[in-house]
Amino acid sequence: MRITCPFCGERELGEFTYLGDAKPVRPAADAGEDAVYDYVYLRDNIAGVMSENWYHGGGCRAWLKVTRNTLTHEISAVEPAAGAGAAKVGA
Amino acid sequence: MSNSAIPSSTIRMEGVSVAEFSWEVRSPLDRALVAGRHGAHGDAGVSLTEIRNFDLVQVMARRGKTSEMAKVAKARFGVTAPVTPQTAPTADATLIWSGPDQFFVLSKGGKHTMVALGQAFASCASLSDQSHARVLISISGAKARTMLAKLSSIDLHPAVLGVGAAAATSMDHTSVTLWRGGDRGEQAVFNLLVFATFAESLWHTMLDSAAEYGVTIGHSGELT
Ligand SMILES: [Zn+2]
Repeated sequence: MRITCPFCGERELGEFTYLGDAKPVRPAADAGEDAVYDYVYLRDNIAGVMSENWYHGGGCRAWLKVTRNTLTHEISAVEPAAGAGAAKVGA
Repeated sequence: MSNSAIPSSTIRMEGVSVAEFSWEVRSPLDRALVAGRHGAHGDAGVSLTEIRNFDLVQVMARRGKTSEMAKVAKARFGVTAPVTPQTAPTADATLIWSGPDQFFVLSKGGKHTMVALGQAFASCASLSDQSHARVLISISGAKARTMLAKLSSIDLHPAVLGVGAAAATSMDHTSVTLWRGGDRGEQAVFNLLVFATFAESLWHTMLDSAAEYGVTIGHSGELT
């Protein structure tokens, strides 16, 4: 499997680390215990297209949001995760 | 380079033993690098040269300050700092892309040290002195690319990695910053920055990889 880093280009899997589901969003401070439990512990086990966090630690050290089909390993999109590169935030 | 403390004498003060240290700058490759020949006899296909005593500063834009950092870099160095995996040579330094919104300043002679750059970039970037944190290795020779191809998963073909191109990548599970310097004659020159504590390991791996072509080993104080 290869991932095309938006900063570095196409690279082998070994340069990346998988950090899991990119969908969960941190709940508001007053959202309650159930929402926090859901956010911290509960994950869907998706068979199909999934949005995932990957880290290009063996390369440019940017966080990436990868859209991947868990059945075929086909990657349909790779974009910088929020905060990856100062230019992408508040510039 | 790493600072190694060598107890030079032990003096007695009011009954307490106090070691007096003399600080000496030594390369992390001090033990591993044995100048001369290695591997196959005949014309050496690969030349491995450690470049010593350089200044290396990492410049990283603060949030929302990328364009300001670019302006300061342009004013300071007279060239546009690389925003893609490339290098930008100046009269007395090389700017090397090291990731999104960040680059290295590689130089010699104290012109672009942390202190010198700190003032200029104070409003827009965070600086980190890497001079003693990395080892710089220059790889050349007729078989340099063939040798590196055994260790690297990126395309090193001149059509892809041309003169001046850079890459943040991994070799032998070790993070490196790799870039093509100016050709020497007809031959490509690859420069490689590796973390100081991983340098010895990668050095041995490169020696193994290059042994079949014959290696000339040395070190130099000159940037190539
Ligand atoms: Zn990358």
